[in-house]
Amino acid sequence: MKDWKRAKIFDFTGATDAGSTIKEFGESVTRTLREPSEEKLAIVLDTAYGLEGTAPVVVRDHINLSGFNPLIGPNHSIGERFPVVNDIYCADDSNGLTLKKVVAAGVKVGRSVDDSDLEFIRTLGAQCYCFNLVPTMLIAAHAGWKILAILGPAGTGWQKECLQKLGK
Amino acid sequence: MTTDTFKPRAKTTEQVVGLIKAVTHDTPQAAVVLGSGVSALNDLTHAHIFPFEELFGIAPTVSGHAGSLTIGRLPENQDVIVAVMRGRFHLYEGHDWNVVTLATRSFIEWGVKELFLTNAAGGVNSSFNVGDLMVITGFRDLLSEVWQKEGLQLLKKAPQDCQNDMSNRIISAGDELHRENKEFRALQKGVYAAFTGPSYETLAEIEMVRRLKCDAVGMSTVPELLTVANSGTAAAAISVITNVWSDDQPMGGHEEVLEASKAASRRLDQLFRHLLAKKHKI
Repeated sequence: MKDWKRAKIFDFTGATDAGSTIKEFGESVTRTLREPSEEKLAIVLDTAYGLEGTAPVVVRDHINLSGFNPLIGPNHSIGERFPVVNDIYCADDSNGLTLKKVVAAGVKVGRSVDDSDLEFIRTLGAQCYCFNLVPTMLIAAHAGWKILAILGPAGTGWQKECLQKLGK
Repeated sequence: MTTDTFKPRAKTTEQVVGLIKAVTHDTPQAAVVLGSGVSALNDLTHAHIFPFEELFGIAPTVSGHAGSLTIGRLPENQDVIVAVMRGRFHLYEGHDWNVVTLATRSFIEWGVKELFLTNAAGGVNSSFNVGDLMVITGFRDLLSEVWQKEGLQLLKKAPQDCQNDMSNRIISAGDELHRENKEFRALQKGVYAAFTGPSYETLAEIEMVRRLKCDAVGMSTVPELLTVANSGTAAAAISVITNVWSDDQPMGGHEEVLEASKAASRRLDQLFRHLLAKKHKI
């Protein structure tokens, strides 16, 4: 079990304070993940759409449906040209949290997803979709990080409790 | 593109063909594109070799890709002229569509009638073995602008069919070689899913493409297949299966993969010689 107390928080839900809120994935996230870091552990909070119920969930894997991979371009020397990105999500590490484990689909910002799309996403093996987690994870995996990703419905309420249980 | 690093200094197809014709008037009956780690047709005679940078104005960035075009003749049949591309340009390198399809568009411009494409791919079909050759009978595009624009809507459709006279000829040549010699493994047939990469697929993505009826995944070839549509050039493609994704098995060691690719390359070489030489026998 990793010590998530020392993890860096990337909050895309706008709920936590302490300066860790980020509007959306972009250069600043990439820069941060490529800075020297001893632990290389990240807790990523993102808004999930299409979840059944209002409880937050922990991500065990993802499918990238965004048409975008942030690693495209010349390889950054921090990682391999062709990184293997399995075993990055630490879904079993959610300590005191007993959250449902899901596969999340990553969708392009601005894309509208209707009910039939959501139904189709489910047939592909994901239970919800989100916008920021997938590119963040790809940059993180390439740079050698492990991730605890927690998704929840839009709005606040679940983030603080989750982080508290993780000792943050 | 956010940087100028890959600002295309790419040549036009007219320039590419002009460079070739200044050196040789041979027009090949077929062009072969060899993907990463795939080796074949190494002994062409009367060979003219063009490094990519000289020919296309752009150098490859991936190690393991030599990046050259060789035009030459089969030693066993000097009437057979072939163009062999070692390496190709990929989207994951940061090249735009124009660059990634430049070689194919040049072959069309040059009047090459047949384009044989190869790639190294991960096997998704659990009945595949490392080192198998898979004739691509259909594909899924998860990398073009159409995919970026349509996203999910494109996945809702069936895979795009790419069986033609060429792929049928490859299949029957494979059958023949397998009958003659069991060492020549029977060819597999299947649907190829192309992702941009450069990261490998997640296990959930492997499961997704399985559900989408795909048999192999890779990061190339679909741009070329889309480019030849409605042109005077026909194309067929073969994947070399360099690893097989399964839930209870991590990716094979590098050594194992290298060994399997070597054996697969030997079979691929045999297959190409059979196809190219035979076609010219009257």
